[in-house]
Amino acid sequence: MEKRENMNAVRRRKSAHKWVRAAIQIFFFIFFPSVFTSAFSGVKYIFTQLGTGQPVEWTSFLSALVTICLFTIVFGRFFCGYACAFGSLGDALHGLYTIWCRKRKKRPWKMKDKTAAVLPVLRYFILAAIVLLCFAGVYSRLQGSSPWDVFSMLQALRPKAKGYIAGWIILLGLLACMFFSERFFCRFICPMGAVFSLIPVLPVFSLHRDRETCLKECSACSRICPSDIELPQCGTAEVRGDCFQCGKCIDVCPKGNISTGIRRLKGNEIWFAILRAAALAALCVWLGI
Amino acid sequence: MHGLLTRSISLAAIVLTLVFYNSTLDSRAKSEEIAQLKAQAQAQQTENAQEGGGYADGTYSGTGQGFGGPISADVTVQDGKITAIDITSHDGEDGSYFSMAEQLTDDIIAAQSTDVDLISGATFSSTGIRDAVSDALEKAVQ
Repeated sequence: MEKRENMNAVRRRKSAHKWVRAAIQIFFFIFFPSVFTSAFSGVKYIFTQLGTGQPVEWTSFLSALVTICLFTIVFGRFFCGYACAFGSLGDALHGLYTIWCRKRKKRPWKMKDKTAAVLPVLRYFILAAIVLLCFAGVYSRLQGSSPWDVFSMLQALRPKAKGYIAGWIILLGLLACMFFSERFFCRFICPMGAVFSLIPVLPVFSLHRDRETCLKECSACSRICPSDIELPQCGTAEVRGDCFQCGKCIDVCPKGNISTGIRRLKGNEIWFAILRAAALAALCVWLGI
Repeated sequence: MHGLLTRSISLAAIVLTLVFYNSTLDSRAKSEEIAQLKAQAQAQQTENAQEGGGYADGTYSGTGQGFGGPISADVTVQDGKITAIDITSHDGEDGSYFSMAEQLTDDIIAAQSTDVDLISGATFSSTGIRDAVSDALEKAVQ
């Protein structure tokens, strides 16, 4: 009896975590949909200015970029996991796919491990390409092929087809990939994610695993992780830059081995999620996004 | 990309580079501004000198090349303005041409500048007078 009650409690808790996260994602999607584009525009701005030999001034894009980066230095890629409109959309799409697969009693398609290990490099190439184009001053010529511009227009409910055909095609392609592969865009394509992976993240709020009490050959955490991460050992200062704090590993671990740099803080507490979301939202309001 | 330390160092390096870049551009812009202001001040000064507002009081002599020889003039400056021009020697000039050219002195005093039209028909003599006055005025600039 007790075991079943425990299991129910666990299931309810996992469910609660999932719904809290979904709610926060929806919140940011509706109220702060352009954080990603503003921050990335900051990156583009820096390189455009460098390319034309002009000073890098404190525009709103630059402030957005710096603020989000500072937030990420402290809290890790919470932004990616909870506030990025693109990521949230991907999660929603993949959620639909999972439900569809379950109904049809089929296993969801999973990317080969080898591919998944190599593809993340693509992000850095895309970042480098965009940055170089900005530096050379020719990025604006590619205006119509940016899927993010198309996405922003969609969100503003002002879709334009003329001149943005390439962008539409790329966007739809990305959405299809996100449908089948969880967080495809975030793991392999997103240049902002590439930027985040390059900045230091303090270990205090990042997830670590205490391997001492792990079950033999369990690896449930790595398997359920959307990014296939193997968490670093507890107590070290090492941080996995691609973890975006979705918290699935924490819920799945049968031994509760996963926690943040602060031992008593597991990392997926509801109050902790809401606290970080509120902080991020406050910053966005302050930035005027 | 591993290592908190590596990343922190790279981030610091990037930030420092940007700050250095900005301050270089800033100091370059400042020195450009200084050069511009200097040029402006210079232009202003020459303007003043020409207008007569920038002349030191006194009498100055100058020489210029006339038709047949040098022409010497004494220029009197009072209250920063040209008040009198005295041609002290004009040996090489033909009488009639010279008397025509002499009108230039009135024009110069009226305009308070040597930037006046030469007397047609007595070009060389007027040039000589004008150059003599300019020469004298160069010594009068404050």
